[in-house]
Amino acid sequence: MSATGPATESTAGAGARQDRYETVVGLEVHAQLRTESKIFCGCSTKFGARPNTQVCPVCLGLPGVLPVLNERAVRFAVMTGLAVGAKVAERSVFARKNYFYPDLPKGYQISQYDRPLCTGGGIDIRSGGGWKRIGLVRIHLEEDAGKSLHPEGREGVTTTRVDLNRSGVPLIEIVSEPDIRSGTEAYDYLIRLKQILMYLDVCDGNMEEGSLRCDANVSVRLKGQAAFGTKAEIKNMNSFRNVERAIAFETDRQIRIVESGGRVAQETLLWNADKGIAETMRSKEEAHDYRYFPEPDLLTLDLDPAWVEAVRSELPELPHQIRDRLTRDFGIPEYDAEVLTETRSLATYYEEVARRSGNPKLASNWIMTEVNGIRNKEGQSIEEFPIRPDRLGDLIKMIATERISGKIGKQVFEMMLTRPEGPDELVKAHGLLPIDDEGSLRALAREVIAANPGPAAEVRAGKERTFAFLVGQAMKQSRGRAHPEKIQEALRKELGAG
Amino acid sequence: MSDAFVLESAEAIGRSVLSRERSAGDVARTFLDRMDRTAEQLRTYLHRDREQTLAMASAVDARIARGERLTPLAGVPVALKDNLCTRCVPTTCGSKILEGYLPPYDAHVVERLREAGAVFTGKTNCDEFAMGSSTENSAYFPTKNPWDLERVPGGSSGGSAASVAAGEAPLALGSDTGGSVRQPAAFCGVFGLKPTYGAVSRYGLVAFASSLDQIGPIARTARDTALLYNVICGRDERDMTSRAEAAAVPLEDLERGVSGLRLGIPRDLIGEGVDPEILASLDRVAKALAKKGAEILDVSLPHARYSIATYYLIAPAEASSNLARYDGVRYGFRAKTDDLQAMYAVTRGRGFGREVRRRILLGTYALSAGYYDAYYLRAMKVRTLIRRDFEQALTRADAILLPTTPTPPFKIGEKVDDPLAMYLNDIFSVPASLAGVPALSFPAGMTKANLPIGLQLVGRPFEEATLLRVARTWESENADAARVPRLLSERRS
Amino acid sequence: MPIDAKVVHDVAALSRLQVDPSEEARLVKELASILSYVEQLQALDVSGIEPTSQVGSGSKPPLREDRVKPSDVRDEALAQAPDRDGDYFRVPRVV
Repeated sequence: MSATGPATESTAGAGARQDRYETVVGLEVHAQLRTESKIFCGCSTKFGARPNTQVCPVCLGLPGVLPVLNERAVRFAVMTGLAVGAKVAERSVFARKNYFYPDLPKGYQISQYDRPLCTGGGIDIRSGGGWKRIGLVRIHLEEDAGKSLHPEGREGVTTTRVDLNRSGVPLIEIVSEPDIRSGTEAYDYLIRLKQILMYLDVCDGNMEEGSLRCDANVSVRLKGQAAFGTKAEIKNMNSFRNVERAIAFETDRQIRIVESGGRVAQETLLWNADKGIAETMRSKEEAHDYRYFPEPDLLTLDLDPAWVEAVRSELPELPHQIRDRLTRDFGIPEYDAEVLTETRSLATYYEEVARRSGNPKLASNWIMTEVNGIRNKEGQSIEEFPIRPDRLGDLIKMIATERISGKIGKQVFEMMLTRPEGPDELVKAHGLLPIDDEGSLRALAREVIAANPGPAAEVRAGKERTFAFLVGQAMKQSRGRAHPEKIQEALRKELGAG
Repeated sequence: MSDAFVLESAEAIGRSVLSRERSAGDVARTFLDRMDRTAEQLRTYLHRDREQTLAMASAVDARIARGERLTPLAGVPVALKDNLCTRCVPTTCGSKILEGYLPPYDAHVVERLREAGAVFTGKTNCDEFAMGSSTENSAYFPTKNPWDLERVPGGSSGGSAASVAAGEAPLALGSDTGGSVRQPAAFCGVFGLKPTYGAVSRYGLVAFASSLDQIGPIARTARDTALLYNVICGRDERDMTSRAEAAAVPLEDLERGVSGLRLGIPRDLIGEGVDPEILASLDRVAKALAKKGAEILDVSLPHARYSIATYYLIAPAEASSNLARYDGVRYGFRAKTDDLQAMYAVTRGRGFGREVRRRILLGTYALSAGYYDAYYLRAMKVRTLIRRDFEQALTRADAILLPTTPTPPFKIGEKVDDPLAMYLNDIFSVPASLAGVPALSFPAGMTKANLPIGLQLVGRPFEEATLLRVARTWESENADAARVPRLLSERRS
Repeated sequence: MPIDAKVVHDVAALSRLQVDPSEEARLVKELASILSYVEQLQALDVSGIEPTSQVGSGSKPPLREDRVKPSDVRDEALAQAPDRDGDYFRVPRVV
């Protein structure tokens, strides 16, 4: 859901001098692509397998092996580029990024450097009351490294263990322009980026399993100043909320340094979520020299423009497109449309309910309050939600056509959560049909008048306010089934007749 | 049993096995026995396993007995350079860092040869990770040139070339990055083909410089060279740089002569410092081919003289990256230390020999921040110029004829302390590597001191057939295929 | 672009190669001689020339279809490890 919350605690608390500064943030997001096999070999990408079982000579980096590029990984990266309006290069080049680490089997990572697959494009986020575009520098393809298991905090453990199941899983790196101005904007950017990736079904978006990872480049400068300040890179933020917090923390820290006459150092920081602080990992002097050069084992990646256009034509509808369509075709407010397009399946669910019910606005209200209320409580995805859209659509239609009242509707809804029947059957089986025939209503009115002689007399004596009491009694007596207008009519008639 | 037939061609040996005139087992035993007598003085092999070789041979006999259709290489012994991965058979690349390493898979060419029914004699010695021109950079021992035991066999595929020259195997595979098949072939008096880049899958060839490496056949005749090339060439889906255009060479095409072919001689490259006997051989061969109907013309390769400088930036740069995987984590040698950074530095410092370390340092330097543009990038641009030179020359000529090396084989130890002098020895072989075009070294006579002379033919991409045909034409009238180093033939009997 | 002991030392660190102090002087000399030889490239005019990083000729092969192809090398490969902890490769602790 959209995040247009208040400024975070730390920036809000730091006083007026802070207002003279602005934060400049660029994000680098790594997203694992949902391919079956790895980017350069046929090993499975499934998460959670026994260590070092999804490995082969290629992803183990054995002597003599060569990478062979996975077509679907390219397709997914191109889809992402097209979805964010990036330019897809007719020719891009893979490069080796050289560094030593125990979980990097070849001693280099195959990535892209000066000729990435996609350049430009952007993602629109909420800012203030409107929209703001966060530009993208590039999207490129690369392989993941394996996993090093460090003995954290365990005394006397002097070794690190290496699992290479993840080695060679395809990634895209999405690099934003330094257009982000706060942790809040960063949070919204990430939410929307993840939403796009999931709509495209190219990434499962699971941060716990490392399918999405984010690094932030943060600097501060005086408002109105054109030049950027010295930036620090923050790593190791394992949730979007932590990205937001880390940026707020780092903004605060840098402003303090500048305010006290110091200079911000160019360094890499690690976010410590437990302590809520960013700690120095390495300084600029220790920075790597990655010695990028074109990967000779892979050919340049040449894409036929016709193929790219075919991929474009097969793109699924994107969140903003559905949002626009829903507001246009169904006349629902933009806010509703945004909530309902949180996921592709929720949007589909809504559309079906809206069509079937014949009342899109009522459908939207029901899903946003009743359905999402239950889902949030139960932690359910829309796919797991027990009432399928056809049944919910029928229920809302009954309400919309006034076959039942909203109140009865809620009773039926509760029943539907645990029962397979449709709303019509439930209403009938439980005697929940509205009372709207003249005879029954008159009988009910008589009963109410008989049971409340005092109030009835008051009404007859002209005390109109008491009439509402009698209507309420009639509704109560009928457990909400009495037709709200017709029962009034019946009561008037019976009171007059009495 | 007489081992006279060890000097027969692979073609003849294969034919005799297929016709059941001899069994693959008998062939294998004969070669193994011969190797037992020669190996000690030549030191051609890093790894031999008699039982394994015999088991392969009897498996071939069983396939023939079952009536399987095998290739002309059925039962033919083939030596493999030790940088070709062989499943469960040691593959060290002549390096201590891979001592005892057993690959869990076969190289593409090894698979192809197994299917074809070839029988492996063992893994041949080479310069460590194929870096060298003398096989003196092997971490284990140097190999001797069978024509003169005081001289180098060339390198880096020195073990393969010496083994074929000495009749230990009729065929061998080597790898060629800047001349590592052609130069030892020339030094040992045999044929050595560096195919077009992409003609043979590199899957399972331990990488030295990926944009240059090619696996190539070594043999004693042009036809045998084609026979082995035909088994290993062609597209392999495990190597994206391998190409479908690489096609087998019909043996009958080799017999078509050279009438009408245009052969260019790059006089501008063959300048000072070339041994006069090699120049004389070049003229002799050119005249002989002209007599056979070839047209001899001058071609120009103006940038080829920058090849060594270009090569010694590009190859070490790629090597510095390719050799990063030898870190002691997953396989090979690991120095015992408690500190990870020390483990890397000591493992690699001790595991790699002098030349390999030198090239890693050079390559790392050429790629490092601040130097990339001046060194690596510039070298890649000059490579473009060199490539264009060949494109232009090969529109005028169907093939280019030049020496393989500027000198005959040099003495062991002669250049070992002067790396640059060693590098300059590659001046005629490196240009074709940089251009990615096919090049064949063929024996073109002997010096007065009875040392082999090799000449080289360079052709258009995927026109290996043309090169083999020209060499075959010369060979058919001038060479004695059964010629072996005298000191070995003396020892026989 | 001069090369001295410091450069050799830095490049060796980048390459994770222990260089024995006794061989440092020799390495400086050898590398200097090679680098001075390759200086000849600086004389060439390469403006406007595209770099060649690959020399493939012929038609480009297709990309690999995304299909899982299990490998049977796992046990053999793990058996090569200089140090293991069960299913894992083991190295000195990454600090």
